[in-house]
Amino acid sequence: MSPGAGVSTTGEDLDEDVALSARTLYRFFRAGEEETLALRGVSLSLRAGELVAVVGPSGSGKSTLLACLAGLDEPDGGTVMVGGRRISHQPETVRTRLRARMIGLVFQSGNLLEHLTVRQNIRLAQRLAARGRRDDADVLLELVGLSARGEAYPSRLSGGEATRAGLAVALAGDPAVVLADEPTGELDSATERQILDLLAERARSGVAVLVAGHSPAVAAAADRVIRLRDGQMV
Amino acid sequence: MSLRDGATTRADGAPAGPADGALVRCVNVARTFGTGPTAVVAVHDVSCTVPSGARVALMGPSGSGKSTLLHLIAGLEAPTGGTIAWPGLGAGPNGRPGPIGVIFQGPSLIPTLDVTENVALPLLFAGVPAEAATVSATAALDRVGIADLGPKLPEELSGGQAQRAAAARVIAGRPRLILADEPTGQLDHETGGHVISVLLEAAEELEAALIVATHDAQIAARLPHRWTMRDGGLTTRGAGPGDDRRP
Amino acid sequence: MIWIWLHGLVRRRTARMAAAAAGVAVAVALLACLGAFLAASKATMTARAASGVAADWQVQVTGGTDAGSVLGAVRADPATRQALPVGFAQTSGFTYTGPTTQTTGSGVVLGLPDDYARAFPGELRTLTGSGTGVLLAQQTAANLHAGPGDTISVGRAGMASARVRVDGVVDLPQADSLFQKVGAPPGSQPSAPPDNVLLLPQALWHQVFDPQARTRPDLVTTQIHVSRSHALPSDPAAAYTAITAAARNLEARTAGGAVVGNNLGAALDSARQDAAYAQILFLFLGLPGAVLAGLLTAAIAGAGATRRRREQALLRSRGASVRQVTRLAAVEAAVVGVAGSVVGLAGAALVGRLAFGSARFGATTVTAVAWTAGAAVAGLVIAALTILVPAHRDARAMTVSAGRLTVGRTRAPGWSRYGLDFVLLAAAGAVFAVTGRNGYQLVLAPEGQPTISVSYWAFAGPALLWLGTGLLVWRLYDLLLGRGRRLVGAGLRPLARGLSGTVAGSMARQRRLLARSIVLLALAVAFAASTATFNSTYRRQAEVDAQLTNGADVTVTESPGASVGPDQARRLAAVAGVESVEPLQHRFAYVGSDLQDLYGVRPGTIRRATALQDAYFTGGTAKQLTRTLAAEPDSILVSAETVKDFQLRPGDLLNLRLQDGRTKRFTTVPFHYVGIVKEFPTAPKDSFLVANASYVTQKTGSATIGAFLVDTGGRHIASVAHRVRALLGPTATVTDLATTRRVVGSSLTAVDLAGLTRVELTFALLLAAASGGLVLALGLAERRRTFAIAIALGANQRQLRGFVSGEAATLAVGGLVAGTVIGALLSQMLVKVLTGVFDPPPSAPTVPWPYLTALGSITVAALAAVAAVAVRLARRPAVQVLREL
Repeated sequence: MSPGAGVSTTGEDLDEDVALSARTLYRFFRAGEEETLALRGVSLSLRAGELVAVVGPSGSGKSTLLACLAGLDEPDGGTVMVGGRRISHQPETVRTRLRARMIGLVFQSGNLLEHLTVRQNIRLAQRLAARGRRDDADVLLELVGLSARGEAYPSRLSGGEATRAGLAVALAGDPAVVLADEPTGELDSATERQILDLLAERARSGVAVLVAGHSPAVAAAADRVIRLRDGQMV
Repeated sequence: MSLRDGATTRADGAPAGPADGALVRCVNVARTFGTGPTAVVAVHDVSCTVPSGARVALMGPSGSGKSTLLHLIAGLEAPTGGTIAWPGLGAGPNGRPGPIGVIFQGPSLIPTLDVTENVALPLLFAGVPAEAATVSATAALDRVGIADLGPKLPEELSGGQAQRAAAARVIAGRPRLILADEPTGQLDHETGGHVISVLLEAAEELEAALIVATHDAQIAARLPHRWTMRDGGLTTRGAGPGDDRRP
Repeated sequence: MIWIWLHGLVRRRTARMAAAAAGVAVAVALLACLGAFLAASKATMTARAASGVAADWQVQVTGGTDAGSVLGAVRADPATRQALPVGFAQTSGFTYTGPTTQTTGSGVVLGLPDDYARAFPGELRTLTGSGTGVLLAQQTAANLHAGPGDTISVGRAGMASARVRVDGVVDLPQADSLFQKVGAPPGSQPSAPPDNVLLLPQALWHQVFDPQARTRPDLVTTQIHVSRSHALPSDPAAAYTAITAAARNLEARTAGGAVVGNNLGAALDSARQDAAYAQILFLFLGLPGAVLAGLLTAAIAGAGATRRRREQALLRSRGASVRQVTRLAAVEAAVVGVAGSVVGLAGAALVGRLAFGSARFGATTVTAVAWTAGAAVAGLVIAALTILVPAHRDARAMTVSAGRLTVGRTRAPGWSRYGLDFVLLAAAGAVFAVTGRNGYQLVLAPEGQPTISVSYWAFAGPALLWLGTGLLVWRLYDLLLGRGRRLVGAGLRPLARGLSGTVAGSMARQRRLLARSIVLLALAVAFAASTATFNSTYRRQAEVDAQLTNGADVTVTESPGASVGPDQARRLAAVAGVESVEPLQHRFAYVGSDLQDLYGVRPGTIRRATALQDAYFTGGTAKQLTRTLAAEPDSILVSAETVKDFQLRPGDLLNLRLQDGRTKRFTTVPFHYVGIVKEFPTAPKDSFLVANASYVTQKTGSATIGAFLVDTGGRHIASVAHRVRALLGPTATVTDLATTRRVVGSSLTAVDLAGLTRVELTFALLLAAASGGLVLALGLAERRRTFAIAIALGANQRQLRGFVSGEAATLAVGGLVAGTVIGALLSQMLVKVLTGVFDPPPSAPTVPWPYLTALGSITVAALAAVAAVAVRLARRPAVQVLREL
């Protein structure tokens, strides 16, 4: 393992600052008779206030890693802890609750429900997290620069606006951790810069941010870079 | 001005001679969407010529009109002003200029057909008999190195494999002009690089012109000529758009 | 959270929600319509039964009881409208001495109060002379050759005869019930009313028979004829219970002094059986329609499944629990269900109002509420099953990341691996066979029981057939579209030319969806076809029944005593509107010691005048047997019982004793047995004989005609009958088909089944068109993208059309072929299972070709229309779509 790539802690997480940690994650998929090992013993930890980038070519396991970190997928081996509480190998209800309160997710596309306006999407996310007041939605919209587009429906948004709106929705529940899976994949560089700046600003205000991507801009924006290749950290 | 008109005025059947070497000629082409105060001008007053054998990177920020210009050159959209002519390419059986191959940002494979059928599709539309089309399709897949993926469905492919299939689809038609609209936008560098290599090799072999719209400087560096678009207008640099051929 | 969700659904997904609600509305409307029709029919049946009875009760005063006290008890009942005492006296016979002296056998003399005719108008029909005073029954008048003004003697047992002067001649339309043996069980009722009947005014009757009553009280009795208020419950079964209870109540109150002949009860009894049949019938015919509407709704809702799954995945990734996600799906289901139910009920009310002028869903308030609630609940259930249950299942089963995928290579569905379709078909066959063994008895009404039991088990047969064939068709088309792809491609060549292989390939990958759509279309077509076939068979048999009873369009029956010759036919033929007249001999013959009716026919022409069904005969078709009668004049057709009694084999000699017209004595006439006749126009239910008229004439020296069958060509039947009646006067009875149709058989035939079937057949057409068009329309969004890609690759309009028309054609051909086959099977089964509804039962279903042609055409047209729209919409790829490529 190259230095600076995220050292896995050996005992318990004594560090209060650790918002998210994963220890020796394994995940394999079976398609027919073939078995693919998507993650092989990946470990990382994420502190509040830092922006970590996970980079690697397509097929390296970035998406799988993020899914396991978010509790959307169960690793076959290893554990994931969010805010000091274990999220892996828990019943669905526990994982859902943790996710609602502690984790905000941004995807490459499809961040918004098509039949609701941007503002309604944010309000819905607030409800699911069971926190957040109405005017918080305005604050979020202003944060991502979409104050004028609150009443727009997702089909009317440009690619960049949609991702920014997705970020606002992810932040609606005031999460401790933001996981972004290739958020800038379909965007041009200027817009990409915009998004990354927003994420960095969020990190500075105390949120732990993990961004997966393959463009060099992502790595450049991060405090720390973890490289993945074929499910392993390199 | 209708698309068909633009094609037929030039499409006497014979591709204009390679004497002037121009495959496409645009004169003051404009494309406006909508009318009145909410009209959006995507392309305005663009004049250019695509010579045969061109290798052009079309760069510019998003919203500068790159896609629209490519669509116009491909004949998928009709200009609202100016003229486009395809002197180097005869009209195809569908009244549009051909053969032109287009690759989009997304692979745009038809989900209910397998890869071979997808690759053969343009040939079938052009009237090639089914067996001959399948043979060409298989050969094209082999050329781009994914011959074993023939019977797979699009959803079973990774992003890179899908784009290579799209490239095979273009190659199978033996075009004389290949237009690629952000073909590597959704791929990582390594895979994207492979796709560009495939396109370059194909253009070489088919003696076709190649225009790639991209915002990635590394990709653009692999093509000798560069056109730049900004706010619907074309500024050019380097040999290519025929600055000495402006009418 | 729910409000936000709801707001979004209603504003942005209006079309989808509306479509699903429409599907629910159709199902609810159909069910509610069934209720409305059932209510109206039952009320009609009750009313018809009640109005058809001349005297509601005939209360027999038992020996020893004072008639006055019984009369008082009857009058004390508040439901009694009129109660009049009628005297019944047995007479040894009547004699009339005119140009000849005629004497009759024993008979009955009734003593009627003065206002009897007004109180019970249905009992008497004046033919000639005065309507009051001393009245002779028509048959008696004919037997005596006596008429108004003549004086006849009335025989009395052990006393001298009385003489009375006849004032008029009447017909007694309800003679069977008028002369019933009150209190006797149905089996021991006399088979026919007395031939010899005299009606005297009450005072005169007392004069004549009071002396008799003293010496022979067993011969003189009193009945109280009662007409009751017809404010009955509109449900025949409830009305029957009420009237029977009232009768028992009276019997109890008079402590056995009165026995009630419950005519009204008997009429209601048969009405309630018919009502039970009507209920079964409507359910049989209507329920599949509601189920189909449910399936259609499921298809509509299923179209959004991929999108819903993605939404669910997104919600779950944002931390929504399974319960929260399910709750949101429940909201959608509730909106669709409630909206659909409300619209459906409103629609049904409208239809009910248009059809009947009333919008009630049930005969009583309770049933009305029950039907409305039931229909609404059904709507909610459909919405829940099609929207909520799949959402909940998805929420529990799939992992979040899987939700972000779309299609996959799926395994064959569970039922297909276990061959469920074959199991169901086998079960259908088994149930069918079992119900067949007990003669398809669907309604069981044991004698005297207050309740009727309906065998709902019979539903199982057709239901299993529906399911089984539906699944089998799915399996077959799944196979055809998948493995048989090459065949499909070849078939598509005229539509798609060079692209036919590609189109077949594309369909192969969507074959699950396509197969499901074909099945839906097939079931809709089958539903329409089977309902229509049942309806047309029903109407045909009702027509046959009327013809069987009446014989021909207009039938002239001569009085038994009259000797009318064949030349009467010429007079009848001269009447305006008459196309042909066929004489029918009606004699009596002794077969051994048994007296049977003998009908002499003219074999060459009888089949022109009246429709003889092959089902009436055994041992040959109608055509064959009439030809035999012509070729071998001494042939005779007998009843099955006669064959058994005499151990007859075809060709056997059978000697009958017929009355010689000249000597009036019975002589032996030889016949040869050639076949069995079970039914014959105008013939009675028990054994009878059919022979060649000229042979009978030759052997009996008499050409007397019993009845004339008049053919009017089916037009102006009533007015022709009227003219004939005017021509012939009271000596002959003239009946016409139109009246018979109304009166004959069960009240079920009279029920306007046509009304319900009209609604159902329209529903069925709509369902068929919708099933076809819907499927194509639903693929539209995805199709737009595919078309954009195709156009970008150089496809022209014709080639695009080829894709769509390939799908449309596969759907149309598959659906119509499968639908026709299933429809044919179902029709056969329905006709067999519901045999009890028909009278007489049909030998084969009557196929309604016009409707079926319309069905096929409309379905194809709907598919073609949607296909055309689909292509048109994709003509120019929206710039938006291009940009998304």
